[in-house]
Amino acid sequence: MTARLRVDWPACLARGLCFELLPEVVALDDWGYPVVGDVPPDLVETARQAVRACPQLALRLVTDGGSRVGPRNP
Amino acid sequence: MSAVALPHPRLGQIQVRQGGALLSGVGSGPGLPVHESRYGALPRLGSAELVGLTESVRLTGRGGAGFPFARKLSAAAARRMRASVVVNLAEGEPASHKDAALVQVAPHLVLDGAAMTARALGTNDVHVVLPAGSPRLGEVVRVALVERSARRRDGRVRWQLHQAAERFVAGQSSAVLELMAGRPNLPVTSWRPSAESGHRRRPTLLSNAETFAHVGRLALLGAREYRRSGTHAEPGTTLLTLDGDGAAGRAPLVVEVALGTPWREVLTERRLSSPVLLGGYHGTWAKAGELAGLTVSLDALPASGLTLGAGVVLPLEAGCPVERTSRITSYLATQSAGRCGPCFRGLPALAAALEAVSHGTGDPSELRRLGDLVEGRGACAHPDGTVRLVRSMMTAFGEELSSHALGRCTAQPTGRLGALPRTSRLEANG
Repeated sequence: MTARLRVDWPACLARGLCFELLPEVVALDDWGYPVVGDVPPDLVETARQAVRACPQLALRLVTDGGSRVGPRNP
Repeated sequence: MSAVALPHPRLGQIQVRQGGALLSGVGSGPGLPVHESRYGALPRLGSAELVGLTESVRLTGRGGAGFPFARKLSAAAARRMRASVVVNLAEGEPASHKDAALVQVAPHLVLDGAAMTARALGTNDVHVVLPAGSPRLGEVVRVALVERSARRRDGRVRWQLHQAAERFVAGQSSAVLELMAGRPNLPVTSWRPSAESGHRRRPTLLSNAETFAHVGRLALLGAREYRRSGTHAEPGTTLLTLDGDGAAGRAPLVVEVALGTPWREVLTERRLSSPVLLGGYHGTWAKAGELAGLTVSLDALPASGLTLGAGVVLPLEAGCPVERTSRITSYLATQSAGRCGPCFRGLPALAAALEAVSHGTGDPSELRRLGDLVEGRGACAHPDGTVRLVRSMMTAFGEELSSHALGRCTAQPTGRLGALPRTSRLEANG
């Protein structure tokens, strides 16, 4: 199961917390908005932290099928 | 072959030529009695049957994305919940008039397709989304619905009408669903396809008006009749809008063309020898002369990096394609919904970079960088479509771009960069 980050763009305000917590996976574009992608298995837990940390609730961790990766999912 | 002139609020009129299938009724009027005498009563089809029928002719959406209708219908049917059907008549592309023309010439084909789809899904909930700025279309649809009700054509189907806002992104699926929910007609992030979860979280089959007309004709006449036009691999026809922006003082012309028709039979020599913007402002550029050896094909055009998109065909008979793309991109930047950072920051940056390149002061690699940055990072297809346009310009007009970098424009008689004649009456109004 590949996990990847997805951004709810209308909700994102470029606060940058995801980048601070997970610079290995998140980069910032010219205007401070996150450029996100696949999350390697060893960083999934940190990715979950980034999802929880977003003040706008704009970040989601999803699987290939698009379903959310929650705390209870493997 | 007859034609009819339909009034248009900004462009005066649009010409609609009689066609072989959807537009065969030009000249007979849009009334229900004529439609019924031609096509008969509304057939009852189950979802499996309608899926099979639309799959057998490979019907794809005519709103620009070209999604297979059968797949959408299957997904909606699989949910086994009360569904909604939505006819998208918003026609956001300014240079597209085919949907408006179709609804005025053959409203009952569109409405039949939608009603049948609803019944196949076991629902009576059907919506029609009208474009902004066209009270006439609203009138046409209302009159048609009154006719249908009087003759009880639709059984228990209940119709609801909605009015889109005056903006380019008004026709984007998520924006349409927002409008239907009573919220502003602007895109939102869609976590699931609308066929699975859309209006009121119910399976929602949202398709372009022309797509529903094809469904209607297919179900009313059968696959064999439908296959009389087009090719074996791509049966049927498609609607195109020529000169949709009113350039060169010509009225836009909507025509129906069988799939597989060579472009030589659709466009004059003069137009074929010009660069042609195909698909719409979210479309792709064909180089001068490129279409001469190609056909109107949903399958084959992508192999040449081209897209039929929303059926918009804009030959650029005078002026520079780089400059034209620059103006369109600037317009598209103003049409951002303003909701997604990479779009409302990125598109103006892309437009500014292209303007600089067009004036000979910018670096084309910046266009590539910004395009890569903006693509796929928004709630709707607006940034993606804009990037598609710019990328296709770079692919098709490499030589012109190099000239501009040297301060010259090959499209100008003097060869120098300078003020070029306005070619479109649409972009200035933003």
